[in-house]
Amino acid sequence: MDFQPTLPIPISFISGRYLLFSIDFVTYLRREHNICGVLTGTLPQIPQQNVFLGLPLELMPEEARVLVDKGVACIVDEAKAHQGMQSLLEEDRRKYLRELESQGLHASRIFAERKGQKKAETLKKIAEKKAKGKAQAKPQSEESVNAATATSEPSAANDEPASVVDFFAGDTPTPSTSSKGTSTGTPAAQAFHVTPATSYPPLPDPTTSSELIVFRPDVPSSYPLFAHMHSRGYFLSPGLRFGCQYVAYPGDPLRFHSHFLVVSSEWDQEIDLMDIIIGGRLGTGVKKGFLLGGPRQAKTEDGSEIERTESVRTFSIEWAGM
Amino acid sequence: MSLKQEQLPDLELSALTKLIDSASASGNPVDATTIQVLHNLQHQHLWTNLQIHNLAAPDTSNDFPPVRKLLSGIPPNRVYTHPDEQLYMLQKGIREDELRPERLFVIPTAQGQPWSLRRMAFAFDALNDVEVTDDVNELKGPEVDAEKSKVLDEYYEKRTEAIATQEWGSKRMLLAMVDKGMGGDGTVVYYVVQEGEVKPRQN
Repeated sequence: MDFQPTLPIPISFISGRYLLFSIDFVTYLRREHNICGVLTGTLPQIPQQNVFLGLPLELMPEEARVLVDKGVACIVDEAKAHQGMQSLLEEDRRKYLRELESQGLHASRIFAERKGQKKAETLKKIAEKKAKGKAQAKPQSEESVNAATATSEPSAANDEPASVVDFFAGDTPTPSTSSKGTSTGTPAAQAFHVTPATSYPPLPDPTTSSELIVFRPDVPSSYPLFAHMHSRGYFLSPGLRFGCQYVAYPGDPLRFHSHFLVVSSEWDQEIDLMDIIIGGRLGTGVKKGFLLGGPRQAKTEDGSEIERTESVRTFSIEWAGM
Repeated sequence: MSLKQEQLPDLELSALTKLIDSASASGNPVDATTIQVLHNLQHQHLWTNLQIHNLAAPDTSNDFPPVRKLLSGIPPNRVYTHPDEQLYMLQKGIREDELRPERLFVIPTAQGQPWSLRRMAFAFDALNDVEVTDDVNELKGPEVDAEKSKVLDEYYEKRTEAIATQEWGSKRMLLAMVDKGMGGDGTVVYYVVQEGEVKPRQN
């Protein structure tokens, strides 16, 4: 039932941003790897409509790095990958377009089928309602014996809907026949227009070509703390809203309130005590903790973040109320 | 006519200034901050059995000035209860004032004092080596009937267990900060600091 992609998942690297264009990958990463990202896509004609955003999903460099380090994803240089677009054979192009059309047909067929089913269901409901109304009206008009009405009710209910359905039968055939009818009888012009969100196919899968893969996203110095929290099962989202680096949720953000405002610091980096108070007070004010943490190990030349992540220590801060 | 100059009264220093002067002859600012927080805990928050703990110098000399002193004392009321512990207490019908008082540690700091994760970690690590001399009579809870004391014993047992597994949070301290900035009115603010990721209270 749940979509299982072939790993690694390609993360599109476009002008310095990490993007995902496939809804299957987006749901998979959220479900299995606690990565939410931020939906950034809007309508090209009405970009001010930003309440409900859609694909693509933008990932923080930290999220991309965590996925790469876990071997779940790889970073693909999309500009390079799309250079092959011009050299696409005419034949391949046609084949791809035909494929899209057949997908559109399939989609429209399913849509029609659903519509038919829904219609039939609604009619059935209306019929049942009518039958009930009549059955209730009967005993009121004819003062018959209780036993007689009791037996007549179910039979009436059975008879009535059948007659109503018959009445409309010519108009709406049963769902199974309707779907067949539309698919064979209607012209191909009715096929839905499919706009694929990704360009593989027609381009070859980029994860198979090593030259397209860019290794290791560059991450800020707060990455060890991010990776530490992520490894503890927290969902992390950008902290702009609370003036911190990350907001940490103990589960999917749709189900849980967040627990921490996360701020990272280097081991010997000077912290203004006032910042601890500001964070602690704000956190307590919004029922969260202020989490200050960082790696004991200083950043080294070779940039290995794994050891740094293992050396992370964190402190949770709340107002004492005194 | 000549204006007569008024005789000035003999102005005295505040009690706190006198205390700081007398108690920290070294003139060390860390000592002065410690005394000021101690004074605040004792007289504003009515803590008892206050103690000052001198910490050993850190191994590395690049940390200057290090955290040199911790305070500890017994607050009149519980300062912090972990949310899961609170749930347990609610289920068992235990009220906070039925529990025996507990010693809590405090890191004294002053506004503008340089701070870092290393210092915070040093203070928490030092907690393992701090020696406390407690008067047993001071740590007695209020008198309760036999049934209640059985429930409380169960609670204390569960608590020891939960502290070992860090289910109810781990090491915790108060971070006290003295206002030394504009005006420097001597306000002291307190924040609960806990090691690790401890979920917030739902106040």
